[in-house]
Amino acid sequence: MPEAAPIAAAFRALEAALPEGRLTRAASELTEYGKDWTRVYEPAPSGVVFPRSTAEVQTVLRVASAHGLPVVPSGGRTGLAGGAVAKDGELVLSLERMNRIHPVDPVGATVRVEAGAITEAVHHAAEAHGLTWPVDFASKGSSQVGGNLATNAGGVKVIRYGLTRQWALGLTVVTAEGEVLELGGALEKDNTGPDLRQLFIGSEGTLGVITEAVLKLAPLPGRQDVFLFAVEHLAGVLDVFRAARRGPFTLSAFEMFTDRCLARVARHRGLRSPLETEATHYVLVEVEAPDQDALDAWMMELVEEELVLDGTRAASSEQAAHLWSLREGISESLSGTGLPHKNDIALPIAGLPAFCGELEALMAARYPDFELCLFGHIGDGNLHVNVMKPEDMEKGAFLERTHEADAALMELVQRHHGSVSAEHGIGLLKREWLSYSRSPEELTLFRALKATLDPKGILNPGKVF
Amino acid sequence: MKILVPVKRVADPDNANKVKVSDDGSRVTSDGLEWKMNPFDEWSLEAALRLTEDAGAKKRVGEVVLVSIGPKDEVQTIRQGLAMGDERGILVEAEDDDLDSHVVAQVLEAIAKKEEPDVVFLGKQSADGDSNVAGTKLADFLDWPLVNYAMHIATDDEGKTFTVKRELDVGQQTLKVTAPCVFTASDRILQPQAIKNGVTADDFAYPESDGGRYASLKGIMQAKKKPVEETTLEGLGVTPTRVNAYGSFTLPAARTGSTVFLETVEELVEKLQTEAKVL
Repeated sequence: MPEAAPIAAAFRALEAALPEGRLTRAASELTEYGKDWTRVYEPAPSGVVFPRSTAEVQTVLRVASAHGLPVVPSGGRTGLAGGAVAKDGELVLSLERMNRIHPVDPVGATVRVEAGAITEAVHHAAEAHGLTWPVDFASKGSSQVGGNLATNAGGVKVIRYGLTRQWALGLTVVTAEGEVLELGGALEKDNTGPDLRQLFIGSEGTLGVITEAVLKLAPLPGRQDVFLFAVEHLAGVLDVFRAARRGPFTLSAFEMFTDRCLARVARHRGLRSPLETEATHYVLVEVEAPDQDALDAWMMELVEEELVLDGTRAASSEQAAHLWSLREGISESLSGTGLPHKNDIALPIAGLPAFCGELEALMAARYPDFELCLFGHIGDGNLHVNVMKPEDMEKGAFLERTHEADAALMELVQRHHGSVSAEHGIGLLKREWLSYSRSPEELTLFRALKATLDPKGILNPGKVF
Repeated sequence: MKILVPVKRVADPDNANKVKVSDDGSRVTSDGLEWKMNPFDEWSLEAALRLTEDAGAKKRVGEVVLVSIGPKDEVQTIRQGLAMGDERGILVEAEDDDLDSHVVAQVLEAIAKKEEPDVVFLGKQSADGDSNVAGTKLADFLDWPLVNYAMHIATDDEGKTFTVKRELDVGQQTLKVTAPCVFTASDRILQPQAIKNGVTADDFAYPESDGGRYASLKGIMQAKKKPVEETTLEGLGVTPTRVNAYGSFTLPAARTGSTVFLETVEELVEKLQTEAKVL
């Protein structure tokens, strides 16, 4: 934690350099802005600053740099790895007041936005022109563009559109020392050497602060059909995935959840599967099908080949929304009905059944009292492994046990050539596991980049690497 | 028991493509719209299914005939109902622009006379036109008993007579009616024990729901093989006599939304008074 006297000096300098009302040190604000959705860490920032422009961000970082005041760049704080947590007297640099969305360019299919623009607000702005920014997840009503970019957020449409990094054409970045970098612009093609934008996308605020972006937009999809299938085993889920890959449509989502997840959603939100058949695994598939008859034929094949036990197709957008809520409600319902310990891993898809078999065996042998709730974006090989705290176990003991379990899980992930964090990032939570996915050579290069871009180490210290 | 259920399609309001009005405001255009079954029709359809099944044994014990009036692709709406379990469908081909509630009631009258159902079970209104007229006119044309906004229906003689509860602002009204009759439904008809058909066990409870049942994959497949009779107004011997002429249509004013941050409470109060005018 920084010393008190230099902090006071840094805040005096900030107050002098910024217009009035940009800075707060009120206790309630410190608690609120010091945490994200991880809820594992005690928030303890020294202040929160709300700049209104890239120039003001520059001012903040120049002062912070001069005084050695650590800074946590902050967006909608919906992260699940502690990347936006300020627990050691840092200054939280909230971009939320920079939420301007410039007019959409319908010809170039781009829009320039400030980092604090809410994801869903960008969707609404684009929708009026028949376009969308295809970065989509359950927290879109709170998450902000800057945070999405800084964490290279994933979500439910990755199988169709790829990660956030594919949907930014230009970035405005302020470095730790207060330099402004204009990287790219509204150009689809720009082949002029290494792409510096991609250094900052996914850097989780450790290399620079993204203040504005030119986003690339995609045409709004037309009719989408949503199916829910009941399937017997995980291997069966992959059989359906194989069939979906061959299907006469563009796949826009392929999601899986287990009966235990569904039971938690039912208990927490009173939602019910509309299927008459109960199964251990459920698959939600969303497709854009140009030919409804061909889609029907595909669906019949699933039944005839007995790839699914039961299933339904949404007959309206309400039914589609209901089917989606069974999947999107899981994260909230796990937290609403107990204490989940979350892991977000990625595996090569072909190896998923073998991996899950070993995972179940590992859990059953070493942690038989833990309830394992599996769900995820199976089409991307992305599995959310949630372990629920048994009712009668102390929180401290649970965290200790899950930490042991994590070590075993990450070894398993490494052995199966997976990733320790598929889409949640590294932040604070996954830092000790980074070396399970990244080689020593890569980590050395990371640190060299950090030393070059942030020589005093003031940007989001203690995160990622 | 045989029940005739008229269904129509309406623009799916949650879809990105919204209803548009022609440049001169004279008509609603349906280009590029996604359709769904009128939700009020979905309630009556679900109620009709519950009246004609043994829910415990998952067995159909009666017949539900769907009828829809509109362009050829309206058959999709019928197929959706067939996938939910209905026995057969009738599509009366017509242009949406040529229809009003009066013509709809004329068509339904002709079909009811031909099909001789025990009940015609309609949605209380459509989600687009909001007229709330067709069911009442139909009962008048047929000179059959009418029960609007039914919330509870019981029969113990296979639909020869019904005890029907209606929801009123001031309480409940219980009516006894003899088939053939016309019902429209309130949303309470979907409550778990709102239908007693004398076949399904009295203590059977349907799951809580705010719409019709989901079609199973098997249901969707079977629906393709179920009969849908196609006919026309002429074929039914109906001479349409529209009584309404639409003047013009206007869309609701577009909503604007953006977040504005203010510095002080005084500023907020001032804006609430002068701009939002809510204080």
